[in-house]
Amino acid sequence: MNKYLLAAGAFLVLGTNAAFAHITLETQEAAIGSTYKAVLRVPHGCDGKATTAVRVQIPEGVIAVKPMPKPGWTLQTKKGKYEKSYQLYGQAVADGVKEVDWSGGNLPDEFYDEFVFRAVLAADLPPGQMLYFPVVQECGDAAVRWIEIPAAGQDEDALENPAPGIKLKPKK
Amino acid sequence: MNATPFLQRPATIGKRFGWAGGLFAMVIALIVMASTNQAFAHAALIKTDPVDGAVMAQAPARFSLTFSEPVSPLVLTLVTPDGTPVTLTSFRLSDQTVEIDNPRPLKSGTHVLSWRVVSADGHPVGGSLLFSIGAPSEPPAVSETVDWPLRSAIWIGKVLLYIGLFLGVGGAFALAWLAGGGRAGQRLVAVSILCGLVAAPLSLGFQGLDALGAPLSHLAQPVVWRTGFGTSFGWTVLIALIALGLGLLSLAGPRAAARLLALAGLAGVGAALTASGHASAAEPQWLTRPLVFVHGAGIAFWAGALVPLGLALKRQAAGSVDFLRRFSRAILPVVALLAAAGVVLAVIQVRTPSALIDTAYGRLLLLKLGLLVFLFTLAAVNRWKLTASAEAGATEVQRRLARSVGVEVLIVLAILGVAACWRFTPPPRALAIAAAQPVSVHIHALQAMADLSITPGHAGPVSASMIIMTGDFGPLDAKEVTLVMSKPDSGIEPLKRAATKPGDGSWRVDNLIIPVPGRWTVRLDILVSDFEMVKIEAPVDIRR
Repeated sequence: MNKYLLAAGAFLVLGTNAAFAHITLETQEAAIGSTYKAVLRVPHGCDGKATTAVRVQIPEGVIAVKPMPKPGWTLQTKKGKYEKSYQLYGQAVADGVKEVDWSGGNLPDEFYDEFVFRAVLAADLPPGQMLYFPVVQECGDAAVRWIEIPAAGQDEDALENPAPGIKLKPKK
Repeated sequence: MNATPFLQRPATIGKRFGWAGGLFAMVIALIVMASTNQAFAHAALIKTDPVDGAVMAQAPARFSLTFSEPVSPLVLTLVTPDGTPVTLTSFRLSDQTVEIDNPRPLKSGTHVLSWRVVSADGHPVGGSLLFSIGAPSEPPAVSETVDWPLRSAIWIGKVLLYIGLFLGVGGAFALAWLAGGGRAGQRLVAVSILCGLVAAPLSLGFQGLDALGAPLSHLAQPVVWRTGFGTSFGWTVLIALIALGLGLLSLAGPRAAARLLALAGLAGVGAALTASGHASAAEPQWLTRPLVFVHGAGIAFWAGALVPLGLALKRQAAGSVDFLRRFSRAILPVVALLAAAGVVLAVIQVRTPSALIDTAYGRLLLLKLGLLVFLFTLAAVNRWKLTASAEAGATEVQRRLARSVGVEVLIVLAILGVAACWRFTPPPRALAIAAAQPVSVHIHALQAMADLSITPGHAGPVSASMIIMTGDFGPLDAKEVTLVMSKPDSGIEPLKRAATKPGDGSWRVDNLIIPVPGRWTVRLDILVSDFEMVKIEAPVDIRR
């Protein structure tokens, strides 16, 4: 117990704002209108059970999504229409990947892994705000849903299962 | 009570029947009053000033309530943020609006204006509105205030009614059936009946006041009497009046009919008690109602005989020995029946031995049992020690017996006083039923809403049932629902249970244990789609 407390303390002291028990994104800031490499860090399974699937919902405004295949995992995407069309290299894009699923794998609770995709953050996303990527972590018949998005004014730390997010910065 | 001497003078038969006529007129009037109790549209509140939930910078000088038809206020109470109820007495009626003066400067915080009015159709309606001065605070808990003058009046009315029924009608029965030709105690018996005749209708008014939550000063309002009559106690009063009338007639009427009238009166006593009260309301009714009848009629037989018997023995009246012999022969089976009925009723009402000490009802029962032990000891001494020698004609023993009977009467009066207190204490049986009631809460948010009920609504093992809908009352086919109950002030970690779908459109959580009573926060995590969860929460009060 003390060991974990020390570790938790060390995290706080070092000032990492990644809560170490949550699924988080490695890079937590990105400029709009740029390409973003999302690295989802999966630190543990669901209450001790091995992770068998990771599914990510792509938020509106994140386009041209390309997930990275992972040995031992089946990669699938779900495509659909965006709410509006976005400009990508001078072309209008109105549909694309809305969900990325890595499934059929086996990541034991005691191991760590990362799941990667690349995407473009549309130039008309609001800078200064948070953009959340809700994740469902499945472990056989159990699941943990990292899908909570803080309400206006709510502290993110108060959430039990916060969705991983990034802070949008102005266009470079 | 100057009417009583008439009863002993055979010349005033006409006046006697005048009394009876008056009695029947009263009964008829009550029946007519009850039958006009038809349902019209009730008054509905259509506008208030301040509006419900308003937050104001300053206290208003007056409040106004506008109804759909003209009304007249019964009780207006302002509950201040610290929970003190203030009765508002200064108001004006203008057409359909009640304007109420605000009697005092109000402190900041949330106030409750509670109103109960009666509309032209005679139906009382009530409600309350919340408003805040400055900023809202925790709404004050409206504490139950006991209206002691009314409570005392109800108690006195009840005791006098018991005296009328048991000592009066029971006495008339003893005089007709046991006393032979003796008339000792007739005057006291008649006074008792008159007590009952006065107390019965008054009790009805008190009952009405109690049902409406109105103070004693409103006794003259017709709605109070209609309400009182509308309760089951109305039947008790009606039958009691008939029983009292029969008792009176058996005293005053022709001797040939006296026995029949007295018997009918005694049956009336049982029937009157059967018509209302905690014991008669208990299940199973086929058992409790006859038991109450037997118990009541038995008390009237026993208690009623005491005064005439005691006085006959004291005065060494002719035939007093025969009276004693008849009484002591009949009393054993009667008391056995009376006691058996009482024991069964007590078991039904109290349920568990611990409730004897834990509840006010149980403690009153213990007190009554204590008095009964006294009474039975005395009665047994009288029956087995004194009666034989008294019947043999021992004068000194007859005097002792008379004194002892006098003490018995006093104990009986004390028991009646204790029994009348039961009016104010729900029996453990009813408490158990009330405790088993669920608590329900409606949680409404923009994205979703839920009707949640927790059964039973007290701490311990419970089950929860939820109906989930969208925020605009549409169907919501949730993927998962999780119930989270937390009580941050208790230091208990949140209880989290996944709900299951039994297939009737609701969600359920069984085998949930709520460890402590008090105000809990209940939260529902509703998984609307794979990646979207809606959380709604509300406070819920879990009873002890």
